[in-house]
Amino acid sequence: MTYVDKPAIPKVVKFDEPNAKLRNKLDVMLNTGSDIYQGACKKRGSTLKDEYRKVAGVAYMDPKDMAKLGVSNWDHVKVISDWGEVVVNAAHSRDAPHEGTIFIPKGPWANVVVSPETYCCCDPTYKGIMCTVEKTDDDVLLMADLMRAVYKKYVKDEEGIKDLATLGEMPVYKKL
Amino acid sequence: MEYVLKNGIVYDPANKVAGEKKDVMFKDGKIVDSVSADAKVLDVTDKIVMPAGIDPHAHVAGPKLVVGRIYRPEDSRKGVTHKTDVTRSESGFSIPSCPSTGYRYSRMGYGTVVEAAVPPLEAKHTHEEINSIPNLDIVPLSLFGNNWFVLQYAKQNQIEDLAAFVAAWLKIAKCYGVKIVNPCGSEAWGWGMNVHGLDDPAPYWDVTGREVVTALAKANEMLGMPHSVHVHPNDLGHPGNYPTTVSTMDALKDIEKNSTVRGQTMHLTHAQFHAYGGTSWRDADSGADHIADYVNKNDHITIDVGQVTLDETTTMTADAPMEFDLYKLSGLKWANKDVELETAAGIVPVIYSGKAPVNSLQWAIGLELFLKVNDPWKVCLTTDHPNAGPFIRYPRIISWLMSNERRQEMMDNREVHPWSHRRTSLASLEREYDFNEIATITRAGPAKIYGFQDRGALTPGYNADIAVFDINPNDIDPSRNPEAIEKGFSTAMYTIKDGEILVKDGDIVKVVKSQTLWTNVKGMEEQEKAVMERVMPDFTRYYTVKFENYQVHDKYLPNPIVTEVQAGK
Amino acid sequence: MANYEPPVTDYDSIVENCTCAFCGCNCDDLDYLIKDGHVVGVRHACRLGASKIMEDMDQRLMVPMIRGEDGELAETDWDTALDKAAELIAGAIRPIFYGWSETSIETMHHGLELGELVGAVLDNQATICHGPSLQAVQNAGYPISTLGEVKNRADMCLYTGSNAMNSHPRHMARYSTFPRGYFRPRGRFDRTVVTLDPKYSDTAKMSDIWVGFEQNGDYEFYNAIRAVLKGKKLQKEFISGIPKEDVEELAEAMKNVQFGALFFGLGLTHTLSKQRNIDIAIQMVADLNSYTKWILMPMRGHFNVNGFNIFMAFETGFPYGVDFARGYQRYMNGETNTIDLLTRKECDVFMVIAADPGAHYPGGAIKHLAEIPVIQVDIHWGPSTEIADVVLPGSFVGVEVGGTSYRMDGVPIWMKKAIDKPESCRDDEWIIKELLERVKKIKAEQGALASK
Ligand code: SF4
Ligand SMILES: [Zn+2]
Repeated sequence: MTYVDKPAIPKVVKFDEPNAKLRNKLDVMLNTGSDIYQGACKKRGSTLKDEYRKVAGVAYMDPKDMAKLGVSNWDHVKVISDWGEVVVNAAHSRDAPHEGTIFIPKGPWANVVVSPETYCCCDPTYKGIMCTVEKTDDDVLLMADLMRAVYKKYVKDEEGIKDLATLGEMPVYKKL
Repeated sequence: MEYVLKNGIVYDPANKVAGEKKDVMFKDGKIVDSVSADAKVLDVTDKIVMPAGIDPHAHVAGPKLVVGRIYRPEDSRKGVTHKTDVTRSESGFSIPSCPSTGYRYSRMGYGTVVEAAVPPLEAKHTHEEINSIPNLDIVPLSLFGNNWFVLQYAKQNQIEDLAAFVAAWLKIAKCYGVKIVNPCGSEAWGWGMNVHGLDDPAPYWDVTGREVVTALAKANEMLGMPHSVHVHPNDLGHPGNYPTTVSTMDALKDIEKNSTVRGQTMHLTHAQFHAYGGTSWRDADSGADHIADYVNKNDHITIDVGQVTLDETTTMTADAPMEFDLYKLSGLKWANKDVELETAAGIVPVIYSGKAPVNSLQWAIGLELFLKVNDPWKVCLTTDHPNAGPFIRYPRIISWLMSNERRQEMMDNREVHPWSHRRTSLASLEREYDFNEIATITRAGPAKIYGFQDRGALTPGYNADIAVFDINPNDIDPSRNPEAIEKGFSTAMYTIKDGEILVKDGDIVKVVKSQTLWTNVKGMEEQEKAVMERVMPDFTRYYTVKFENYQVHDKYLPNPIVTEVQAGK
Repeated sequence: MANYEPPVTDYDSIVENCTCAFCGCNCDDLDYLIKDGHVVGVRHACRLGASKIMEDMDQRLMVPMIRGEDGELAETDWDTALDKAAELIAGAIRPIFYGWSETSIETMHHGLELGELVGAVLDNQATICHGPSLQAVQNAGYPISTLGEVKNRADMCLYTGSNAMNSHPRHMARYSTFPRGYFRPRGRFDRTVVTLDPKYSDTAKMSDIWVGFEQNGDYEFYNAIRAVLKGKKLQKEFISGIPKEDVEELAEAMKNVQFGALFFGLGLTHTLSKQRNIDIAIQMVADLNSYTKWILMPMRGHFNVNGFNIFMAFETGFPYGVDFARGYQRYMNGETNTIDLLTRKECDVFMVIAADPGAHYPGGAIKHLAEIPVIQVDIHWGPSTEIADVVLPGSFVGVEVGGTSYRMDGVPIWMKKAIDKPESCRDDEWIIKELLERVKKIKAEQGALASK
């Protein structure tokens, strides 16, 4: 039984959109926030799993933007902002049209590219981030791998991170 | 532990002790006639000894207070103090945090405070806050005057059902008595309206304030509650409102009292806000004469004043339409909190200034009421904290009451605007309170009004709730020394609660948990059950919580003091 | 119907009137179906609530753990883990205790005492969600009501910057739009629903009117409504991308309802104008009250995020971001709040209780968490566990342990216990109390040493 099954995303990306001039890189505005799938997955606690990566490691895009970039659903894109870069899945937004903006549900993937700037009012800037999106062949990391690769808290050899084995989808700890 | 407070000058109006030098003894938390030779002696030679103070009407705990604290950090910042070995750090001026509230009352020699407005739906919240207030016993009153079920019973004049409803709801909300605020007016505020006067019906319900007040007063007497109905009449704060106040009192004149422990059938709260003449703030003047006159001539009424202290404070009342009017007048930030099926509430900061004509008029009207009500047992000292000013100003008010000279001086040197004497008779009132009268309006009177049988007097068997003040009454002329009076009453030499010394020389030396007083009505179980069955379908339909989760479980009252009454007896 | 799941029929007992420990709706009408001491089904909950209650046991934190020299978490016993955490807290100069919004008020009491003892900063999720709302409330006022007022009276519900259908799925069904109220006997048919959101969100799809103004257009839009309410003529043809006639029409409609309710979400607090968006929304609601009745309400996210603010306000006078470093409370927005303290790299020990900063903080703040010891008290292994040094497994409020919470409108609810917690876990309340006792002991020993 699962509560995080999502409705299938319609495959409506049309590459023959009249103004869909293929480009390598798009300048877009990033919004992040909660969405019900991300929320459900997070609270049921399955954040290590692929299902969390599917619901939170994803950029919802306007189909026209996807066309311009030449990506279809579940292709990987790299989102780059002043604060970092992260690889996520691309997916067609159910709330489209909204050309020029993308939405990444709140979560470890979004965190990498949002701004910690609070402008002295305690709350960081989670919405309205200027960034670029480009197609990539890099993998979308699982949560644990992402945390390790980005924050490197317990890795001694930072260069070697990419060669480390994945931490997988289950808790890793030494039992008594 | 046994103690003797030795050689104090005792003011204990309930026992007709007015300034006698005598010892007060207590043992195991209670006042006693005699103690053994081992008793610890506390030398209080020539100091004032009184029962601990009882505040009959304040707002110290609950949802309104917390809205105030959340939205006024500027007030919280005012009273910040460093933590000590005994106390936690404090905050706030007009809306102190819960710990600060307890400490500050305790330092003034108070032991009991009435929290005057509890919406049953959020009663758990009030009780949570009460548990965070140290050193005091708290007496919560539950709001009934705009409750939808009450409106229906009142309209149909079903007094017995109403009484059963009240009895049941006091058990649910764990409250001590019945509070009525702007009857029908707060319900009208559900639509952004108000009612005007006692006979203006609430929209849709077609029932008037007169019907609601009368029905609740009858129900209250049917139950034989320890306290009478506690009434904040319609039209609060409006120029020309005193006739509404007088007719509200008069509406309850013939209701038969069913209690041996109190004298009144109606307590009129913060009378100052209800004693205005004129037609607008331009021509407003004092209506204190009319109110005081009525109180002097009728024994079914007691009042507390709600004295304006001339401070910046935070007003908060279930009279939400009045608060919106105030917001429109002052433009200061407006908070509002309506509670489904039960009540409304509004909150607005106010700056009472002696420079402002209206505020000075309000200041003078309050003092007029104190000075014109002849019998001190009928009038209590309050500021309707924090509405007319914070409770920490009680000592200052005492100094005003004890000194005509000081009052005249304030008017003469323009600490207050001339409206204070041009539009009131304050300048002609020479009466000065003596210490015994002060003890009456701050201790004995409130205890009688609430029907307390365990506090408010130094009677053997009563709780050892005692205050000692570093004032020598035989040596001071309060008329000439208002500052010394204020200082003396601000910091008790001793505050003793249930036989424990909590304050010594103005400092908190011990912190104890608060206790909560509530009234458990017996003898109407059948009727209560029937009423619950009848209201339950509507409850389920119109509230947004389940009944199971609505009730205040015993867990929220770790230290209850239950008054049991036998309905009809 | 590929996803159809047959109703659960195999259970031993039902516990009724349980409270959902997810969002600020605090739905208290859930029925848990219990078998062999586990919840095997939930009735009445939405997808979110059900997902939390029917949790993923794979990632349930079951045992206390301490991170070893090798960088790996290792199981340990409670005593060792608590001592380690207490030692870190007692030795800290600038500790932050963050979270609290998914635990009980009862737990907060001990946390506050601990914070006052060691001079910590206590902060909750408001700091990253509705903090600007609270700031705005402090600027402009707070006209709210309980949700039952909306259910019984409202004939217009307006959602702005809030996708309720996604973040508070039963809000419309239980409180605002659909329920039959005393004065709205036909429920949905007696109300107009308006959504203001640049996105055509799931909530917009349920509404009668969708106003899709431009991204970051909030402030200008409300300003225009206020201008219209005050009888001014709009000078521009388009306001935030919306034709001025539409703005005027909406303002007129808002004026002419009997009871309006405005619900706002993070769409307002997280865009550039932040608290200013809310300032003006509050002022608009105050203006509207000159014509008719309007209230507003922040759509608080966690089931006890409001509870923490209320609790802190009555205990300390300030709602969140309360700093005890100097022996008394200080509250300065943007100074004594978690994200600011982290990005300024001030904090030296971080304890997170019932929250997941790893999942919700901007990377710029998490970077500092990677440099300091982190203590985690929670029920699930999450992103924060990946950066935690001591892990203390708590229990599930409203399922495994009772506790008090405050709904988004401030209504207090006792969330009762339905089943027993896993044997190796402990209640949050117990954990924090233990930490308090242990820190007290360390401090007493230090005090004794110092006085020698
Ligand atoms: S709306 Fe919120 S509180 Fe209600 S069931 Fe859903 S998640 Fe739980
Ligand atoms: Zn009052």
